[in-house]
Amino acid sequence: MNQKIQFTLNGKSTTMEAPTHRLLLDLLRDEIGLTGTKEGCGTGDCGACTVLMNGKPVNSCLVLSGELEGASIVTIEGLKIGPELDAVQNAFVRDGGAQCGYCTPGMLMMSKALLDENSNPTEDDIRFALSGNLCRCTGYAKIIQAVQDAAAMIRSKNVQ
Amino acid sequence: MAELTVVGKPVTRVDANEKVTGEAIYGYDLVLPNMLYGKTLFSTKAHARIKRISTEKAKAFPGVVAVVTGADVPWTHGESIKDKPFLAQGKVRFIGEPVAAVAAEDEDIAQAAVKLIEVEYEDLPVYVDPEEACKSGAVAIHEDFPKYRKVDFIVPGAHANIAEHFKLRTGDVAQGFKESDLVLEEKYFVPMIQHAAMEPHSAHAQFDKETGRLTIWVANDAPFRALHEIAEALGMPKEKIRFINPLQGGGFGSKGGLKVEPIAVALAFHTNGRPVRVKFNREETFISTLTRHEAVVYSKTGVKKDGTLMAREMTIYWGAGAYAEKSPTVCIRGSLPAPGPYRIPHVKVDGYAVYTNKPVAGSYRGYGIPQGAWAGEQQMDEIAKRLDMDAVEIRLKNIFVEGDISYWGEQLHAVGLKETLTKATEAIEWGNKPHQIKPGVKNGKGFACIQKPTRSPTTSAAGVMVNTKGDITVLAGTVEIGQGCNTILSQVAAEELKVPMAKVQMHPLDTDVIPYDASTTSSRSTYHMGNAVRRASIHAREQIMEAASPMLEAKTQDLDCVDGKVFLKDQPQMALTLGEVVRRKFGPEGVVRGDGSYTYEIGKDLDLETGHSDHASAFYMYATQAAEVEVDEDSGRIRILRMSAAHDVGKAINPLNCVAQIEGGVVMGIGSALHEEMVIDQTGKVRNPSFLDYHLVTSLDTPELISIIVECAEPEGPYGAKGLGEPGLAPTPAAIGNAVADALGIRIYDLPLKPENVYWAIQNKKKKDAA
Repeated sequence: MNQKIQFTLNGKSTTMEAPTHRLLLDLLRDEIGLTGTKEGCGTGDCGACTVLMNGKPVNSCLVLSGELEGASIVTIEGLKIGPELDAVQNAFVRDGGAQCGYCTPGMLMMSKALLDENSNPTEDDIRFALSGNLCRCTGYAKIIQAVQDAAAMIRSKNVQ
Repeated sequence: MAELTVVGKPVTRVDANEKVTGEAIYGYDLVLPNMLYGKTLFSTKAHARIKRISTEKAKAFPGVVAVVTGADVPWTHGESIKDKPFLAQGKVRFIGEPVAAVAAEDEDIAQAAVKLIEVEYEDLPVYVDPEEACKSGAVAIHEDFPKYRKVDFIVPGAHANIAEHFKLRTGDVAQGFKESDLVLEEKYFVPMIQHAAMEPHSAHAQFDKETGRLTIWVANDAPFRALHEIAEALGMPKEKIRFINPLQGGGFGSKGGLKVEPIAVALAFHTNGRPVRVKFNREETFISTLTRHEAVVYSKTGVKKDGTLMAREMTIYWGAGAYAEKSPTVCIRGSLPAPGPYRIPHVKVDGYAVYTNKPVAGSYRGYGIPQGAWAGEQQMDEIAKRLDMDAVEIRLKNIFVEGDISYWGEQLHAVGLKETLTKATEAIEWGNKPHQIKPGVKNGKGFACIQKPTRSPTTSAAGVMVNTKGDITVLAGTVEIGQGCNTILSQVAAEELKVPMAKVQMHPLDTDVIPYDASTTSSRSTYHMGNAVRRASIHAREQIMEAASPMLEAKTQDLDCVDGKVFLKDQPQMALTLGEVVRRKFGPEGVVRGDGSYTYEIGKDLDLETGHSDHASAFYMYATQAAEVEVDEDSGRIRILRMSAAHDVGKAINPLNCVAQIEGGVVMGIGSALHEEMVIDQTGKVRNPSFLDYHLVTSLDTPELISIIVECAEPEGPYGAKGLGEPGLAPTPAAIGNAVADALGIRIYDLPLKPENVYWAIQNKKKKDAA
């Protein structure tokens, strides 16, 4: 059954019709064409499809379009501020946080959620925050380093 | 050699930006205009005859465009044995084998229609154990095996289920054991695991009736080989087939060969020219794509009192799964160096690739080396213990060094093994081994050494274009699977053309325009494609120098090239940009193109009776990894405290990328050591086809990683480089196994070292000690 839904997507008000059972992940990728959000498992086990929903990280493969009414969704495509990369994107580039890059959008959204809440996380905080986001390439070391570096960048910016 | 300006530097990845913004388009993301959606019906039986398939209901379902079964696509394929049908023909051989497929207007319709296909099976005996499958009396999983087309190096075994029998014969092992002071014989087991690349598998295909052209969009790591395999199967000329590679979200060996491709192709011939996309979800990827070979390894080693190795005999059963895929070459290249990187006068190896009714095993990062090392390297430690020798000392006494003749008859050069051994063990303070620090927890250290060959002989070709802006475009068929080849190859082009990295871009991979490359496998790309791109870049540079010579009124030997400019060596102000030279010579739209290719010339082919060869591999990779662990005696849980990994890479073209490859490899190796296994029941069903039940390493599980780069230059490699993609995980389980044995005083022979296995090993020892 199709239902009219209105929500905010990457800062823009969006109205569309979609079946209530359609997954947010499929809505983003297939209907809206934002393929930056990745599908790794479809069962909420890998974190590749992480987006921010009302500022909190969610697996978009576990959110139904019927739950979207009035919500604010931020995807990887909405992470840049104008032409500028976000601090965490910059750190991933510099530190080698992405290899094949398929888990990267989810990793970045989860990292962003962590840093929005805590710009001075310990290594354990970072490891715990990212523990639901699987990566098969990097062995996580460069990802953890990138989040630490992004945190330092954010803190120094806040001081200025 | 002139000083290197880009090669050898820790350059950041050239593809990072598109990956952190979500702009990168992977195979799984690709949407084609007017595309249909394909879904697959998989076999629910591990071994059965198909008595009847009826597709009428599916065909009649609204929105369905095509339904295909094996009857519509009478083709078979296979890299070295043509044994695999596009869709099951008459029988099924594993749960997850594609039986039929549907193309429809959307995915929901396709899935609903698949459920309407009815298949009636008649059960046959199921073989889930490779040793059982080749016992006399076991029925043939492939009745027509003798009739299959095979490449000429295949040596079928005595039993119909043995697809390949590799033999290595050196000296006389019976004599060697007789002359030994200690002979040890043990059985080791490595279970089936999966690559679990984060991007699941998919393929798109379109057949244009008018032109007779078939186009396939797929993140395949060997598009030229896949093209060849499809052409051969279909009896189509190669020029009628085109492969286009979207980005690949990891592969680790799983995305070569043909898996989803045949299903997409089968459908594409029945959709009236519309493209069709076939995606496997995660569960389908688990049961229907590829796995790493389970292996049963019998190892018998004889040694003198002073630690000198005398003889080693190994028998390895490689569980191939239902189809041969790359099993014959995994069996050959995994069995050949299985006795380890040691001087051993008497060696006998029998490797058997055995069909079973399990998911197909194929190439997996490491290509048979981890299985051999799990047995051989643990046995080395066990021998050292019985001789009361230090594990480092016994290795040093026997390891390959420069100029040694290996037991397969090849003289070795560029052997950096000793340095990796010394550095890896020093990094975890080998001499200092406390066995108990905390109550209830035992500590231990261990290490393992490996040597890995690469697929040989093979060819890579490349083109390098320079336009009037001085921009460089590299045409290379190496697939960026995350390993960083686009960065490495850009560095090589930038180095040879003396331009900044920002001036270089990689052309997207399309077999219509990109020169031939054998495959992105076997850690071969930096060496082979690095050489090809280097040659193509030099070819382009020479043409530019020649064109610039009259413009600058100087001989070419008096010209030099730096920072995107050609200039006179003794008058650097007399300079032209590369782009200016191209424009003046060829006009505003002009391009200079350089071409280069590299083929490793093999010496004598591997002798099929003895396994001997004077050039089995273009180069060899050497590594030692060392682990420090603690084991909780109550729960059996292993915690890795730190892990060092020293790898001989020849020359690090990009040290940052080398460390990235090592770290990623080690962590993958840790997963295979501690918890990864595909659990398959007696009916052949995979019981854990999800990330909930198949445990990958998470960010909570990784230890301190110490990556060490050793550079023992390979003269034929570009700037001395070898390869590094695979060895990162090869010695890891054996190193951890040795550390656990050191901690507990218990040898565990079967992977993975999951808590319950370790727990029961501890309990059994307690019982034994009490008795």
